[in-house]
Amino acid sequence: MTRWQSIIDKALVIAAVLALWQWGSMTAGAYWVPAPWPVVLALWDMMRTGEIFRHAGYTLQASLWGFLLGGIPGMALPFVLRRLPRLEAILDPFLVGGYGLPKLALAPLFILWFGIGIESKIALVTSVVFFLVYFNTAAGVRAIDPRLLLMSRVIGAGELRIATQVIWPSAVPFIFAGFRVSTPYAIGGAVIAELISSNRGLGYLVQLGAMNFKTSQVFAAILAITLIVIGANAVVNGIERRLLRWRPSSKTAGTTASGGM
Amino acid sequence: MSEVSLLEVAGLGKRFPSRDGRSDARWVIQNLSFSVRDGEFVTVIGPSGSGKSTLLNMIAQTDAPSAGTISFKGAPVSNGDGAGLRPGLDCQIGYVFQDDTLLPWRTTIDNVLFPLEAQGRLDAHGRERAAALMDAVGLTGFERYYPHELSGGMRKRAALIRTLVYDPPIILMDEPFGALDAQTRVQLQEDLLRLWEAGRKTIIFITHDIAEAIALGDRALVLSRAPTHIIGEHHIDIPRPRNLRDIYAAPQFASLYEAIRAQVQ
Repeated sequence: MTRWQSIIDKALVIAAVLALWQWGSMTAGAYWVPAPWPVVLALWDMMRTGEIFRHAGYTLQASLWGFLLGGIPGMALPFVLRRLPRLEAILDPFLVGGYGLPKLALAPLFILWFGIGIESKIALVTSVVFFLVYFNTAAGVRAIDPRLLLMSRVIGAGELRIATQVIWPSAVPFIFAGFRVSTPYAIGGAVIAELISSNRGLGYLVQLGAMNFKTSQVFAAILAITLIVIGANAVVNGIERRLLRWRPSSKTAGTTASGGM
Repeated sequence: MSEVSLLEVAGLGKRFPSRDGRSDARWVIQNLSFSVRDGEFVTVIGPSGSGKSTLLNMIAQTDAPSAGTISFKGAPVSNGDGAGLRPGLDCQIGYVFQDDTLLPWRTTIDNVLFPLEAQGRLDAHGRERAAALMDAVGLTGFERYYPHELSGGMRKRAALIRTLVYDPPIILMDEPFGALDAQTRVQLQEDLLRLWEAGRKTIIFITHDIAEAIALGDRALVLSRAPTHIIGEHHIDIPRPRNLRDIYAAPQFASLYEAIRAQVQ
């Protein structure tokens, strides 16, 4: 009953958004704001030729590599620094600075260093994801219940076991909060790097469409980006749900550090 | 003292620096001494704020004493400087905390097996032992439940047998049944005594409940207010096995209760 209700509610909202979009297109002119249907057609066209998949694949590749290259060290570093408080104190201001730095401002630098190929996109995504995941994971590592640590030491657990079997599971909700925030930024970071300078990718497609005054292509590319972000989020949520099966279902995930671009 | 004591605490002291770090440090525990025989059930009663948990933490080697010594089987285990603390003394000292401290992401049975796993001793024998303990406290059938799916009493039982499963010679218990309702509490006390009578571990059990201290212990120690030391020692000669539901009816109960109550301020 409630399930159907929720589907109906969502359908109504989508219908309202589409209607508003159609109205906007009619008011502003289809040249500036293409109507929903031509955008869907443009997307379908690019799907048929496979063009969109080629570009989406490129963008996804840059996002995924950047996500891994930023996410894995960002996740591991708090576990290392936990054992090295002195190093943590030294690194802390640099990490805070890196977090606060607007990474988009680095894009031209990355292009200068790594060229206009995929490397500069990966570098930008890495720099965005790393700090988001690092600070969320660090919060999770700090949030460990000290009584669980005490208990683990008393029963004879070694430091490696404590890290992997006590701190890690307790930090998972925080780490995934970091992943969830990073996912759209990872894809967005790749797209923006492509906008600045690239000959491939969805960002390039947006740029190309705008240059040729083909707004329906711009909208179609943006629609594709949105769908990819939604899909990637679903994957992250699915993995998190699997890892957090032990949780009472009413609880929601831990704190979230957001922003950072 | 004719018998060799398993655990001996002599002149133990703990000092916490004051908040501003300038005025004199505050002694929470000072000149506290007692010894425990092998297989003895000692209860410790003290007013709140008397440093009971701090005392157990020092015995469990999770906190360093500021003065005095703790000896286990005649050998000193603590030298007061805090370096080289060995929490749990190489699994020889078990510790049942005030809260159940179960790992919420592990099922009941995996929580109970956690110490054996951590000590690299998880074998068929260990699993059998865990199953027998689960059965003894009525947790059979709940092996695959997560802690949040269990009642408070069941979580306490799981935490208790998690310590019993690896068979440490000494078990410290810090008001383990404090937060439970009266009915569940008596059931858990009965479970504990039954398990103890089967294995005769050495237990140091902290409580603020005089009746509980009498009902469970061979001997009850009374702590003073801070700076804490021992101000009373009572041998509880109520024969075992004891009927906890009628412990008040035991002829020795009233006089023991009065004597202890007079000392607990």
